[in-house]
Amino acid sequence: MLEFKRSEPLTLGVELELQLVNTRDYNLTRGASDLLAAVGKRKHPGEIKPEITESMIELCTSICGGYAQVRTELEAMRQVVGDAAAKLNLGVAGGGTHPFQKWSERRIYDTPRFRRVSELYGYLAKQFTVFGQHIHIGVRAGDEAVRLTHGLARYVPHFIALSASSPFSLGADTEFDSSRLNVVNAFPLAGFMPFVRDWEEFEIYFGEMRVFGIVESMKDFYWDIRPKPEYGTIEIRVCDTPLTVARAAELAAYAQALAATLRDDLAWSPYPSLYQVYSYNRFQACRFGFGATVVDPLTREHVPLGDEIVATLTRCLPRAERLGGAEAVAALLKAATARANDARALRELLEKRGSLADVVRGACEAWTAT
Amino acid sequence: MDELTFLPRWPLVANQMIWVGILLAGGIAGGELVQRALRLPRITGYAAAGLALGPGGLALIGQPLLDELTVFADLALGLVLFELGQRLDLAWLRRSPSLALMGAAEALAAGVLVFLVLGYYFDQAPLVAAVAGAIAMSTSPAVLIRVAADLRAEGQVTERALILTAINGVIAFLALAVLIPWLHLEYRGGWLTMLTHPLYLIAGSLVLAAAAAQATLKLAHLVGKHAGRQFIVVIAAIVLTVGAAVALKLSVLLALLAMGAMVRNADRARDLIVVDFGDAGQLFYVILFVITGARLDLGLVASAGAAGLAFVVVRFVGKAAGVLALAPLAGLRLRQAGLLGLALTPMSGLAVVLVHQTATLYPEIRGAVASVVLAAVVILELVGPIATQLALQGAGEAAAGRG
Repeated sequence: MLEFKRSEPLTLGVELELQLVNTRDYNLTRGASDLLAAVGKRKHPGEIKPEITESMIELCTSICGGYAQVRTELEAMRQVVGDAAAKLNLGVAGGGTHPFQKWSERRIYDTPRFRRVSELYGYLAKQFTVFGQHIHIGVRAGDEAVRLTHGLARYVPHFIALSASSPFSLGADTEFDSSRLNVVNAFPLAGFMPFVRDWEEFEIYFGEMRVFGIVESMKDFYWDIRPKPEYGTIEIRVCDTPLTVARAAELAAYAQALAATLRDDLAWSPYPSLYQVYSYNRFQACRFGFGATVVDPLTREHVPLGDEIVATLTRCLPRAERLGGAEAVAALLKAATARANDARALRELLEKRGSLADVVRGACEAWTAT
Repeated sequence: MDELTFLPRWPLVANQMIWVGILLAGGIAGGELVQRALRLPRITGYAAAGLALGPGGLALIGQPLLDELTVFADLALGLVLFELGQRLDLAWLRRSPSLALMGAAEALAAGVLVFLVLGYYFDQAPLVAAVAGAIAMSTSPAVLIRVAADLRAEGQVTERALILTAINGVIAFLALAVLIPWLHLEYRGGWLTMLTHPLYLIAGSLVLAAAAAQATLKLAHLVGKHAGRQFIVVIAAIVLTVGAAVALKLSVLLALLAMGAMVRNADRARDLIVVDFGDAGQLFYVILFVITGARLDLGLVASAGAAGLAFVVVRFVGKAAGVLALAPLAGLRLRQAGLLGLALTPMSGLAVVLVHQTATLYPEIRGAVASVVLAAVVILELVGPIATQLALQGAGEAAAGRG
């Protein structure tokens, strides 16, 4: 009943939600429809789309073979969007949250689906003006999707710490590296996929949820990682939109190498205690970034997340090399070793420049810089 | 009775404070009534209240008092011009030269059309028509800023309307600066004045603006990025510059506009955060519109109404034509361009000030210019804010709920 479309294994697709700000006080601004009109017919790979508010657009790559193509496509779209934005005097930036926007001022982009979401969720819909990166990884079948979804769940804290770029919210330092995920938590269908063993069990679960009348489609699940049967992918949704295109492509390369390693590790199978520690580890990563302490569900040891990430990246490096993502994983390894993520960069910007408007200006500069 | 000297004498001797209070209270009440009863922009109500209280209405406030209150209006206008100057984003104009071109086109088209129509059909002397044409180029920055703020409007039409207003304000000023010496020649003679007066006005105002901008940035750096304190820095700079411009017989318009633009464009380190004038700023707008309203003379509509109406219509045609002509080049959709032209309709306090300045220097042309332009201002005081409001709402840039 819920057919899983087979796709080319380990292909990549990246979606990036971006902030649109004015260049005067660097607050979010109403610009998506004007910007999309200005981008208009200009040729570019992938897709440039509206999102739920007028202050956000989304870049989506096509189905990519690997890191190099993801990066090239994202760079090409960045160029097209940047040219249009310059003419309209709009700033474009990454970052998981806007540091000082008030959600009450946001306007919902006018489509029936967005209006429905806004009516259902009330202020949550406007508060959901947060900016994330989604990574799609191609899988061959539903069973593989379920297995990989469980497998990657173990590494969710890695993606959080490496991408974290939302330390500020509503004008204050949240003391989180990724405050964006706290907003996602408020949705009733957020969290993780239930512990199902294979695609058949998943279909039963989904069927029941539909009979309850709680969901209509997979879109209604706001899980951190979810199978996407209509694309034949699994989708990692925990990353903040990084400040640069390069980091976004690097994260995709890491996801690809990890998925490949897990897929081929036939000795591994999912176990329920994975989810006993899941929420705790996820919180630790959001709050402390590389400085988090996570619990290994198998050994029950407390491990510094930064060390674990460095070790895992090192282990993935040969695999990434064969997939064409060595350069990307090496770059992440360098960042993880230095414990440098975008959240830290944004805090340093505030320290240096003195105001949150300056932080957003810095984010715009980082996004544009090649 | 000697013991009761502590009581005030009757009738009361009113002082300035009382009248300013009455104007403010009347203005804010009028704005609310007009907004609720007629769904019109509040500022139309501020001006209506001024008109009602002023010499043209109940005459509670007479001309002498109005002259005394000019300092408040000047200050308020200074604030508006400074805010407008900050909108003059040169980096944007460099990236989008078509926008600068659009500003020039709409201003010149409106000015030339007004000049021709007044000269040919209303038999105005060429210089009178030319001065009126120069004033017609400008859009009221106060109306635009206020309506946009009231509607919480954001988007390309709003942003472009504001920067075009800054551009056409500069062009109107330059046109007047060139025309004024011609008036000199015609009415008093003297080549020296003809050459040196515009030079003094332009160069002097720019030097003053540059000095004030530098001082503002230094002071902003000193107090740090703190909204409350920087607000005072900015107010101090505005008051000082308005005062200095008046004392030096320079142009308040150019000096304040240029200071705003310089502060915005020269501040590489962004020492000055964007000061939101907020509720305190609104106070100045109420004062400005109430005083502008009190200065209006409805009688002019009777005597110079036809010319005033023609002025309004051809000015609108010129502005719309200028904007539409450059729309394709500037990447604006036709509908957006039409609405942008409509948004540029308002004329208010700035035009009144320009008329008064010209008239003070050259009483000879006072009557002719004043009656036509001020008749147009009376009409636009009502129509202008509505036009801008319709334009911004039509463009879908106004927030749904009214703040």
